[in-house]
Amino acid sequence: MTRTAVKTGTPGGARRPGPGNALLGLAGLGGFLALVEALPRLGLVSPDYLPPTSTIAAALAREVSDVAFWTALGDTLTGWALGLLIATVAGIAAGVLITVVPYLREATASTVEFLRPIPSVALIPLAVLLFGTDLRSTLLLVVYAAFWQVLVQVLYGVQDLDPVAEETARSYGLGTWARIRHVLWPTALPYVMTGVRLAAAVALVLAITAELIIGTPGLGSRIAVAQTSHAVPDMYALVAVTGLIGVLINLGARAVERRSLAWHQSVRGEVTP
Amino acid sequence: MRRLSAGVAAVALLTLTATACGSSDSGSSGKSSDGTTAVKVGVIPIVDVAPIYLGEKQGFYKKHGLDLTLESGQGGAAIVPGVASGQFQFGFSNTTSLLIAQSQNVPVRAVANGVTSTGKENADVGGVVVKGDSPIKSAKDLAGKKVAVNTLKNIGDTSVRESVRKDGGDPEKVQFVELAFDQMPAALQAGQVDAAWVVEPSLAVVKGQGGRVVASNFVDVSPDLTIALYFTSDKLAQQDPELVKKFADATRESLAYANNHPDEVREILSTYTKIPQKTLDAMTLPSWPEEPNRASIERLGELGQKDGLFEKAPDLDKLLP
Repeated sequence: MTRTAVKTGTPGGARRPGPGNALLGLAGLGGFLALVEALPRLGLVSPDYLPPTSTIAAALAREVSDVAFWTALGDTLTGWALGLLIATVAGIAAGVLITVVPYLREATASTVEFLRPIPSVALIPLAVLLFGTDLRSTLLLVVYAAFWQVLVQVLYGVQDLDPVAEETARSYGLGTWARIRHVLWPTALPYVMTGVRLAAAVALVLAITAELIIGTPGLGSRIAVAQTSHAVPDMYALVAVTGLIGVLINLGARAVERRSLAWHQSVRGEVTP
Repeated sequence: MRRLSAGVAAVALLTLTATACGSSDSGSSGKSSDGTTAVKVGVIPIVDVAPIYLGEKQGFYKKHGLDLTLESGQGGAAIVPGVASGQFQFGFSNTTSLLIAQSQNVPVRAVANGVTSTGKENADVGGVVVKGDSPIKSAKDLAGKKVAVNTLKNIGDTSVRESVRKDGGDPEKVQFVELAFDQMPAALQAGQVDAAWVVEPSLAVVKGQGGRVVASNFVDVSPDLTIALYFTSDKLAQQDPELVKKFADATRESLAYANNHPDEVREILSTYTKIPQKTLDAMTLPSWPEEPNRASIERLGELGQKDGLFEKAPDLDKLLP
């Protein structure tokens, strides 16, 4: 819901970042950190509200030496992973079912279009009433947001099915299950992978949001406590950690995508361009 | 104390939903093998709830047969609905929010004192602060000025109006803006607001930046204002009065202990908040008497009525223990 840029991979093969790109990336990050160090030191912003990088780094070192930090990190990752898993399984199952069973797609289209735009955060009051400040509150928000990402991609993927391939499979006498396994699934997989990658990022956003606003245990509630306690460097340190997790999740999702689609032309690349 | 009125509104709207869904575990609390009863308490990670953390550590709740779990929600938004729907057996909320809930027939009632103002002018746990060089000298100067409170139509604005009124100013002319406590020091310095009603630890932060206290609004309402209370649902109070009594007794003991051991209060604060040591040392601690001050709550109710917080007067006999 926050990211709209969908990239299933460009034909011609995904270029792996060379060492030059990695250096440039590090230089950019280094420049940013130096800027944050300089701004408060030069008096352009008050160090009370934006402490220099070195102070934030010291707070980060303090955080990682605290057991409670690792518990919170574990809570956040549990909410994220469990939510993503449920959403992915449910999204794929529902997507395939809807497209395979005749008329189900027409019957559900309007309901899906009605439910999908409801922002997950609007369900916070409901989550609080049903589950209090439990992990289940986080899961409700995460699953709701991530489910649609997967479902919609599955629907698109299945729609992309080549009728000729489908008819060929039929005339060779493949049963429903075999056709799902050998024709439908390979066609839909690149879409599913895109959906899961998007869902992974959205799930993290919602997990942190739930913790921050409802107070379910995790990094988000730790950020909120740091904020109300006026522990500003700790707050920035924790925010940086969540950013780092986001980067790792994205790298991981891309790696999984590349591996599972190694046979697909978007990853493999064309022999003759 | 944050966003409590939002919480109350959510309750009013959603209590029906919860009842319709047949929310299962309302009130019932599991007895474990060692004879203790498991209770969940919804609290906010702020200074005010230090006694319950301390009492838990000292074993007061265990002694009364309670196995306490403190669920720290962000602001009252999760607590009042949580207690009303049975997610928590008990909760912590500011007095005005409970008065509002009572006047709207939200089925909750107070069971023990939560926290009380120190009652000392200029040495209280909350106050209206201005920048060191501000032309505002006393409460009456706040008329026509922008004053930050954490929640509109709650204990903050209603008590600040009383300060202005008592000082001879026009309380109707104060412009209130909603802002989280932790954002107030920055907003004050940047001149986005002329004054701010802050509580600890934000109060210590503002003072540390050279800010001045121009009104002790809690003191202006009543000498010993009961700021917040522990409460439960009507349902649990009827179903299991014995459990409520155990909780109230253990809480009374914890309050008394906290009152007599300020050093241990500051120590326990560092376990569930992240208040920096410097601020922790500079902070004024509230007072934790064993009983709520009924007269002060009545006064708060009158002021709330004057400011239009309730459509009908809250029934204190139903609300207070």
